Amino acid sequence: MAEYKLDCMFEACPIPLLKALKKLKKMKIGDVLIMQTDHNCSITNVIEWTKKQGHYIDYIEIGEGEWEIYIEKAK
Amino acid sequence: MSSNKIEELKKRRQKEIKPKKSQLPYFFFVGFISFIIAYYFLNTNIRYSIIWTIGIMIGITMQRSRFCFAASFRDPIMVGTTSLFRAVIIGLIISTIGFSIFQYIQIGNIANYSLADVPGQIHPVGFHTILGAILFGIGMVIAGGCASGTLIRIGEGYAMQVVVLIGFIIGTVLSSNHFEFWDKLFISSSKTIYIPKHIGFFPALVIQLTALSTLYLLANWYDKQNNIMADL
Repeated sequence: MAEYKLDCMFEACPIPLLKALKKLKKMKIGDVLIMQTDHNCSITNVIEWTKKQGHYIDYIEIGEGEWEIYIEKAK
Repeated sequence: MSSNKIEELKKRRQKEIKPKKSQLPYFFFVGFISFIIAYYFLNTNIRYSIIWTIGIMIGITMQRSRFCFAASFRDPIMVGTTSLFRAVIIGLIISTIGFSIFQYIQIGNIANYSLADVPGQIHPVGFHTILGAILFGIGMVIAGGCASGTLIRIGEGYAMQVVVLIGFIIGTVLSSNHFEFWDKLFISSSKTIYIPKHIGFFPALVIQLTALSTLYLLANWYDKQNNIMADL
């Protein structure tokens, strides 16, 4: 299992989602993507999109208005 | 949906995070100031205090729900999710019902009303509508938010959105200077169409609600269809 980091700090909507989408395509099943973002819309649209694709996802707030999203590629 | 790997990562990270400071004092401070403003206008101009209160309530709702008009029209095309698009349709359905109640109270019993008597924003529709919509749509997606979205994000503290606001103000000033030109070119020659005047009040209401509900169902179906990864 490999871990990938993706820095999406200070990126405008929808760049975090597009970056995650491109990265996920290159990853293997079981790999984990750690995404850092300060955009609260990413929480909604990245999570909604990933859940729809059937990957595992969760997130935590690491600072005021800064989040880390974890995505495990499931298929 | 979470997995063991993610839970482990989360636990590891949780230990490194410092506890956050409570932001409640700021909330009470700002809340107190807004209350004073509302209270001040209560005696001088009650209209201002009503608009102020409603504005704040809309702002809170939009921020908490992460409602975003830009995303609602962009996401269906970009990633195939229509949850925000459906939210906009529901909003339109509710406002259709609300506006028809107000309009019916105003003009329901008058046989030959003029359009100026009808409450709401009824404006000429024509080529300028399409042109304006395209310009606004392009700007909205590049800037990452429409007018309300930009304001919400400034409130949340995104510095980039301040640049957008400056552009927004420049654009608004320029367009109000140009308005006469557009008015002569398209707007004054375009027709104002108010469908209830042609086919009656209730048929128009039923048609509009049916159209919106159909759009909702279509959007719902589209959302379920798009389960494949978007090709980029």
